[in-house]
Amino acid sequence: MDPVYYIEDTLIFAGIFIILTLSLNLEYGFTGLGNFGKVAFFMAGAYTYALLAQLGVPFYLSLSAGALVAAAIGLIVTLPALRLREDYLAIVTLSFGEILRLIIKAQEGIAGGVHGIAVPAAFPFASLRLSALANIALIGTLLLGSFLIVEALAHSPYGRILRAIRDDDTAVQALGKNTFLFKASALALGSAIAGLAGGIFAQYVQFIDPYMFLPPVTFLVWIMLILGGSGNNWGALAGGLVVELINRGTRIAKDYLTLPVDPNNLQFILYGLLVIIILLYRPQGLLPEGPLKTPARKEAQKWLSSPPTA
Amino acid sequence: MSDAAQVLVNSLITGSIYLLAGTGLTLTYGLSRFPNFAFAEFLTFGAYIGYLTMQYPTGCLAIALVTAALATGLLSLAAYFTVFRPLINRRAALIPLMIASIGLGYVIRYSLGECWSWAALSYQQVWQTFTIGDTHITLLWLYLILAATATSIVLHLLFVFTRIGKAIRATAANPELAQASGINTERVTLFVWFVGGALAGVAGVFRAADTQLYPMLGWDILLPVFASVVLGGIGSFYGLLIAAAILGIAENFGIVVLQALGLSTEYRMAVAFLVLILVLIFRPRGLGR
Repeated sequence: MDPVYYIEDTLIFAGIFIILTLSLNLEYGFTGLGNFGKVAFFMAGAYTYALLAQLGVPFYLSLSAGALVAAAIGLIVTLPALRLREDYLAIVTLSFGEILRLIIKAQEGIAGGVHGIAVPAAFPFASLRLSALANIALIGTLLLGSFLIVEALAHSPYGRILRAIRDDDTAVQALGKNTFLFKASALALGSAIAGLAGGIFAQYVQFIDPYMFLPPVTFLVWIMLILGGSGNNWGALAGGLVVELINRGTRIAKDYLTLPVDPNNLQFILYGLLVIIILLYRPQGLLPEGPLKTPARKEAQKWLSSPPTA
Repeated sequence: MSDAAQVLVNSLITGSIYLLAGTGLTLTYGLSRFPNFAFAEFLTFGAYIGYLTMQYPTGCLAIALVTAALATGLLSLAAYFTVFRPLINRRAALIPLMIASIGLGYVIRYSLGECWSWAALSYQQVWQTFTIGDTHITLLWLYLILAATATSIVLHLLFVFTRIGKAIRATAANPELAQASGINTERVTLFVWFVGGALAGVAGVFRAADTQLYPMLGWDILLPVFASVVLGGIGSFYGLLIAAAILGIAENFGIVVLQALGLSTEYRMAVAFLVLILVLIFRPRGLGR
């Protein structure tokens, strides 16, 4: 394969996965919500985009619709679990990922069922190179956008409450905040970003079927976040890039090395071990969460360090 | 009405699998306070150990069940020692524990896939079938019902009459207080993880003998098993007894309804999901607590 195209393809996939990791960072890194069905919201965005784009709806409208549908589904499904302990949300989201795939697989009428569905490309250029470059520009822009949004939110008063909910839900409630609303909004926003990633994924690969949305996608996003450092958007970025490079590296190695084991099996065994080892020995990840960047921080520090005045 | 009888028998079979698997899951979940997603792979591991045993000419279901129970119990202990106990000792929160269990599940699942390939295998044993009226029941099903009943009785006796059973209940209810009253909570935890794994192995062998054997075996029934555990109340064995029956009936009658509506029977997993959501809305603490 053309090496330049391969690098472009890697960048595009890394970008899509980093956007997913950023959305998980908003949900888990800042708010402490364990979304174990990330792939479902990615899938919702991808299929919404595919169906609308086939009807001839303009690109940006289909993309926004995908994000909205993912957000709505995220809210509806997780509402019953949000008031309960974290493990209920984990079980519900994990199960929902499986159910959504099952429904799309079984209903041929909706989007081709198991046969999948063709997706019109957003950039109908004849040249492969040109459309790859256009995709890089598009994904780069969306990545920058979601990074700035999540980063701005994380350091806003809203983000401070999210972190406080993560660290002590009851204390935040006692201060009169409606933690339920904050959790629900963080999940809706996270799902919307995941839906956005789904839309750009669908238009880039130009064909989607239910087998592209298996649970390992969710697991990969979690590895990226945990390796990079949850609670730090730069960590999400670094983690996404590193894991995508490992992913590509092993795929290249597969062609040149003859291993006694199937590389695909080996890859997942190594991912499983990697996540366990990080959790055991470096739970904060490569780039740990830093202090909040709030304008009043210096002020507060001054106040804290000054001797008490009578 | 013979159709209804067959559906009831099928419900009993499905429910028995969920009961055996769910008991192992709910006991460790209640005691260690986190859902172990690698439990799915414990089932699969047990199924493959059973397959290995059945390959020998002397192999029979009883030997397969015993070896699978022992091997999976040991696997469960090994998982606790190498992954979960170090994490718990480092005061890992709930979500990192769950992520680690998913990671462990991948390690086991893909190792099994490497050893036995991803193609479906079968125990290649034909079970004698009894027919009463229009209702069919195989010898394997009778064994399964017997195993589920025996397990329930033994566990009931264990919880009510023995020291270890009472120690388990005490540790699950309040670990600090149990320790203060002189219970060796670590030993109780090890015992429960072993028993939990052993039950997963037994459930895995029955599932594989009744259907097929493939690396996704455990994962494919994890959702209804979790739904049973949540409906029964996490950690509650008695709640699970009713919950597994309800899930078995809901799933099998669900299939009948789906067929009547002309929908794919693949949706039967959605029945478990529906039960899960309803429980979370109306009775999140489950039946037994």
